[in-house]
Amino acid sequence: MQKTRLVAASVAFALATAGIFSLAAEDGVLLHGYGRSKVGALLEDGSWFISENTLDLRLSCETGDAAFYANPVLYERAGEVQLPELREAYIELGGDAFDLRVGKQQIIWGKGDGVFITDIVSPKDLSQFLIPDFEELRLAVTGARLDLYAGAHGLELVWLPWFTKTITPGATSLWAPAMPFPITPTFVNADIPEFALASGEYFAKYAFMGKAFDLSLTGGWFWNDTPSYAVLAKTLGAGGLASLTVEPEYYRTVSAGYALSGSVGPFVLRSEGAWYGDRRFQGNPMVYADGYAEKNAIQYLVGTDFSVAGINFGMQFIQDFILDHEEDLVEDRIQNTATFVVVKTFLRETLTVELFSYVGFDAPDALIKPKLTWDVSDALEIFAGAYIFLGDSGDFGQYDGNDGGYIGAKMSF
Amino acid sequence: MKNLSKGAIILATLALFAAASAVAEPTGAEIMLAVYVRPQGNDMSGVLTMTLVDARGKERVRSLKQISGSYGSVDKKLMTFQSPADVRGTSFMNWSYAETGKGDDQWIYLPALKRVKRISSEGRSDYFMGSDFTYDDLGDRQPSEDIHKLTGSETVDGEACWVVESVPKDPKDIYSRTVTWVSKAKNLGLKREYFDRRGALLKTLRISSSESVAGVWVIMKAEMHDVQKDHRTRMEFSDVRINAGIAEGEFSERAMTR
Repeated sequence: MQKTRLVAASVAFALATAGIFSLAAEDGVLLHGYGRSKVGALLEDGSWFISENTLDLRLSCETGDAAFYANPVLYERAGEVQLPELREAYIELGGDAFDLRVGKQQIIWGKGDGVFITDIVSPKDLSQFLIPDFEELRLAVTGARLDLYAGAHGLELVWLPWFTKTITPGATSLWAPAMPFPITPTFVNADIPEFALASGEYFAKYAFMGKAFDLSLTGGWFWNDTPSYAVLAKTLGAGGLASLTVEPEYYRTVSAGYALSGSVGPFVLRSEGAWYGDRRFQGNPMVYADGYAEKNAIQYLVGTDFSVAGINFGMQFIQDFILDHEEDLVEDRIQNTATFVVVKTFLRETLTVELFSYVGFDAPDALIKPKLTWDVSDALEIFAGAYIFLGDSGDFGQYDGNDGGYIGAKMSF
Repeated sequence: MKNLSKGAIILATLALFAAASAVAEPTGAEIMLAVYVRPQGNDMSGVLTMTLVDARGKERVRSLKQISGSYGSVDKKLMTFQSPADVRGTSFMNWSYAETGKGDDQWIYLPALKRVKRISSEGRSDYFMGSDFTYDDLGDRQPSEDIHKLTGSETVDGEACWVVESVPKDPKDIYSRTVTWVSKAKNLGLKREYFDRRGALLKTLRISSSESVAGVWVIMKAEMHDVQKDHRTRMEFSDVRINAGIAEGEFSERAMTR
């Protein structure tokens, strides 16, 4: 029955895609996008946990120095059509030395792959952890962005009066993370920062692109997109903590960072780092009255990309430091992680084999994401992939039972 | 004075003979150098349509906007894909340097990731976007990298051509030799054959159309045929503009993301 629904939905999406394409051609509107069907199952018990059809439209209109762009997306998940999403919708004005973009937009910073050290503007949709493509992990923010240009130099200023939070997995989700409490707490609803000119978020980036290297310097004063948990009440029993009530809190933080990349012979070297001020780290609620401590923190990466015999390799080493660390914090003082990526194309670049992996050195644990993509034609792509979690604990090992695979097709137009 | 005049006449006659011989029979190296240094304009823009045709006749078409320019010792090129749909908006930028041994700087912008990323330079012998052209085939290979020999004169599509055989000095080159038919009138290669390391014919390049734009000979249509795999790549330029005054600032992160 579910398969029948999936097939019917796929046909409906294909027809809708063709219809919109025809309409766009008649009206002279620049419209493109894709329709995609994707199913995935857990390896452990074979249960389907991804059955998704997507219609992603990109509409753009440009007149002189002004442009409009919208990216509506329609999802059908497990046979149910979701409310349409507007992933982006903005107006852009351009001049010789500036661009001004106002509206809902994704703002991506940083030079790391799969790591978000200076990528502090757009929050993420982590409802399926890091399983979706990185494009779909991004959430748009609503506000204004001004880019100023002078030769190889650029200055970007961002103001976000509306707060957008990271989407975290629900408590019953496969991807619900291990909570940093000794007992299961009772949660009360979080206070979301409201729209107010004074409570907006502010970001700035200087960028330089040159012969030897590219550099960006970033800074921001903003709401942390992922909440900390403040202890509202706790009761003690004979065995210690008997009950705990916590409230997710979004709090102000500040960050300053850099991102650097350069070519040295056949290697591209890159580094990215940031300092975060007064970040909250969860701790033992018996020690910390609020359940957390505010600490400064540093995160950085060093990495390289290179190519050997037509195979592209990339690797990064990432280190997280909590400054002035205390023993009763949940996180260790230092965390070490690495990423590896290998990409090779075959058959005149119509077949792509890639493998992306995170490796945590402390737990130890890992996430391995192999993917195969075949461009059957210029419009049709068939893909299959898997995600394998290794380890028993840690950011990746906690999902050891969630190993899965997926297959799908994507029609671009 | 008389003897001197006679001697001068003999010397002048010999010099004229030598000059005439040089004009009629330049060396292979001189011909390839003339091709290399022929005027190409300070900058160029155009739309490149690349059609890949496999042995069964199935076609895949890529269309991209291209701008390029020379700025001192740096040549810059920016290519932005218009089609197919799944790569629309993807752009590549390449800066290459006259300085010997200095590798190119390259960047890619993927609209899905909304990020410009510096990438390692493609190997010169790697194929460009699944086509039959290597990066080296598309670039300006320096004549000093090969040993050239003039082997004769032939006519190609009605044009008188020099035939020059070029053997790479680097024994690891993917070609054992190439043979080029160079238009005597335009200093432009009209046909080239590429031989693999075993000496067998690998590919044939034919220029089917060239035009003089702003006084510069521009290849408008070309086809590379991989005779061993029977795969073809047709390249066609349109909307070509030479010396349009493209500023160096056009080769920027901003231009890649627009």
